[in-house]
Amino acid sequence: MFGALLYLRLTSLRNTVLSRVRRLKQPKYLVGAIVGAGYFYLMFFRRMAAGRPPVHGPGAHGPVTVPPELLPTLLALGALILLVIVVLGWILPDQRAGLTFTEAEIAFLFPAPVRRRTLILYKLINSQVAIMFTAAIITLVTGSWGFLGGSALTHGIGWWFILATLNLHFMGASFAMTRLLDNGITPWRRRFAVLGLVALVALVTLAWLWRDLRAPAAADFESFRTAAAYLNTLLTSGPLPWLLRPAEFVVGPFFAPDTPAFLAALGPALLVFALHYIWVLRSEVSFEDASIAKSEKRAAKIAAVREGNWRAASGAIKARKPAFRLASTGRPEVAFLWKNLLSTFPIFRLGTLVTLALVILIGGLWIDVFPGYRGVQTGASAFALFMVAYTLFLGPQLARQDFRSDLLNTDILKTYPLRGWQVMLGQILTPVAILSSILWLALLILLLMVHFRQLAWLTPSLRLVIGLGLVPIVPVLCALQLLVPNAAALLFPAWAQTMRNRSERGIEMLGQRLIFIAGQLVVIVLALLPAAGGAALFIFITQHWIGLPAAVAVAAGGVVACLAAEVWCGLWLLGERFEKFDLSAELRP
Amino acid sequence: MIEVTGLIKRYGAFTAVKELSFTVRPGEVLGLVGPNGAGKTTTLRCLAGIIPATAGTIHIAGQDLTADPVAAKRSLAFFPDEPRLFDYLTVRQHLAFVARIYGVAHHEDIAQPLLEELEIADKADQLPGELSRGMKQKLAIACGLLHAPSVMFFDEPLTGLDPLGIRRMKDSILKRARAGATVVLSSHLLHLLEEVCSHVLILKKGEKIADGTLADVSARFANGEANVSLEEIFIRATGGTES
Repeated sequence: MFGALLYLRLTSLRNTVLSRVRRLKQPKYLVGAIVGAGYFYLMFFRRMAAGRPPVHGPGAHGPVTVPPELLPTLLALGALILLVIVVLGWILPDQRAGLTFTEAEIAFLFPAPVRRRTLILYKLINSQVAIMFTAAIITLVTGSWGFLGGSALTHGIGWWFILATLNLHFMGASFAMTRLLDNGITPWRRRFAVLGLVALVALVTLAWLWRDLRAPAAADFESFRTAAAYLNTLLTSGPLPWLLRPAEFVVGPFFAPDTPAFLAALGPALLVFALHYIWVLRSEVSFEDASIAKSEKRAAKIAAVREGNWRAASGAIKARKPAFRLASTGRPEVAFLWKNLLSTFPIFRLGTLVTLALVILIGGLWIDVFPGYRGVQTGASAFALFMVAYTLFLGPQLARQDFRSDLLNTDILKTYPLRGWQVMLGQILTPVAILSSILWLALLILLLMVHFRQLAWLTPSLRLVIGLGLVPIVPVLCALQLLVPNAAALLFPAWAQTMRNRSERGIEMLGQRLIFIAGQLVVIVLALLPAAGGAALFIFITQHWIGLPAAVAVAAGGVVACLAAEVWCGLWLLGERFEKFDLSAELRP
Repeated sequence: MIEVTGLIKRYGAFTAVKELSFTVRPGEVLGLVGPNGAGKTTTLRCLAGIIPATAGTIHIAGQDLTADPVAAKRSLAFFPDEPRLFDYLTVRQHLAFVARIYGVAHHEDIAQPLLEELEIADKADQLPGELSRGMKQKLAIACGLLHAPSVMFFDEPLTGLDPLGIRRMKDSILKRARAGATVVLSSHLLHLLEEVCSHVLILKKGEKIADGTLADVSARFANGEANVSLEEIFIRATGGTES
């Protein structure tokens, strides 16, 4: 029987890989794969190849950059973190053990003459693919953390030990908790018991340390080395080393600085893994009911994700009070703003915006009075700058309460008595409002908190003019930015559909997303060039005659007009495209 | 009133609907039937202005759908086989949204009786995710009827409904037709045609095989035999195959 399950797993894996390879025949996936592979090479492989020692052969392990005396401390810290994760695994869950099976696995395997133990073994083998992949990706992304010593290979295997043992532990813990539940011990009683045990151990440890060790002195924090030395004393005294020992066995291979140490660490790590394996396989509890419930939930989530419905996928949809009262008559575009605001978080309301603006205004003016708070001003300015950059670059990708979210409702939208441009305008209003609000608040912070002493020409009146000039530019700029992803959804709906599906993974999907972000940046730069160039030229020529503030004010008006014209042209073109749009034909393979 | 002349819909080299012409008058219920892939849904989607026709003219309540789509769409309602609803809007909020789109003044006065007629008034504050399939269908119907359309298109209107829901849907269609609405529906269910439709249009591979009243079409394919069932008529008309 186990052979059949192994066949199912291996065949599924092979078919997944084959289908991924086959779809590279489509240009969008091939180009995505090339870009994604290039990104990985430039970001990780090249760095590892250039800066890291080779994995095998002579000189495989380069010099250890972390001082050797710190390694035991790091090992103990790693073990402590693992122990905390394990303890949380005994506190947080409140449901019966439910192994995650697909609906097909449940339909075929649950009624089949398969022993429960075989099903558990099947799940364990199933999880190995994900664990190995995760270990490989973490190793790649962290550049194998060469400063710890070891190599990419030892760190990869080290991660596997940590993840695989944790996986086994959580499975075993869930079975044990189910057994407790069957014996009348509720989740809360179990939590109190675990927390009580943790508190007891912590008290004993603290008492022990109090008796044997001195309290930390200022000298202990003079340097990183002295602080680490004190921490090392803490972690290697009293009962802590004994408590941490099993966890140290698990993280041992990861922290091994060289091959002999790695080989020596393998034995204890394998022992802990084997004990967990025996524990899990010997746990015979009923997991079928919870597994079926879990599988149904998972299937609903996958269906929601495939439709690009992330709120539904997270199970977070609930009826909300509208942001404003929608009158029965008036501009129909406003109905889309009203509707799409309902799909977002309730903090995106006019009242919140006004309140935050007032808080920033009062706080900014208050802080300005006290020179001692310059640090706060600097911090707030840096945060605001980050928000501006983040919102401008990634905002249109994150605020998706527009046509992208309504793509599957296109048929209904097209029956409405509206022109295409009206639908597109209505659809982008909500993300425009959200992104504009964030940018306005960030600009207000910058206006109030940035130090302008080094920039003498930036007089308060000029700052005010620039601030006021940016107020109308922000929403038009946001609208312009949002036209790009909405245009992509209209022009390449099949691509947009795949991009929306965040469960789609793989190097080609990463590449597609990179292409999309780069494309958006290029389009925005090209769209901004005429307005920005014209404004700069105008200010340069006229500032000596009409003064800088007046020149900036007029230029800002020109920028708004230019961008608004571009937005209008974009909306009109998208509207035309929308009226001819046939989703069923576009998504046809 | 629906007037269709020379309707053609092509997808690249494939022609989904070929030179289709017909007229449906107020009070008539036309059933579009045909085997899978006959072009029923494509025809309905062209008539509802969801997809542009490649050629031909469509007049909805006297308005040319191509020349003035906004005016034509004010008079129509389209009910897809799978109710398409907005996940974040409650039943009541759906109606408020649709009212604003169609400019239905004082929509609450119309919405409440409509919800009561469709027996979903008690679900007014629930989201689509909390409604059963039948309830969702009712909400989609309420949204479609809010602006009192004179032309209605139903694509497989009985899909997923329980026996009581089927009965109510049939009654609802007949009620609107008796009130003067022009109705076109597509269905595989021949009993629906017998009970609801005054006229029938049989399509096969995008071409019109026959149209007229049920009696006319039956007589044409009965070959003089008495008591020939509608199922037999359908099989004879379509040649018994999809291709």
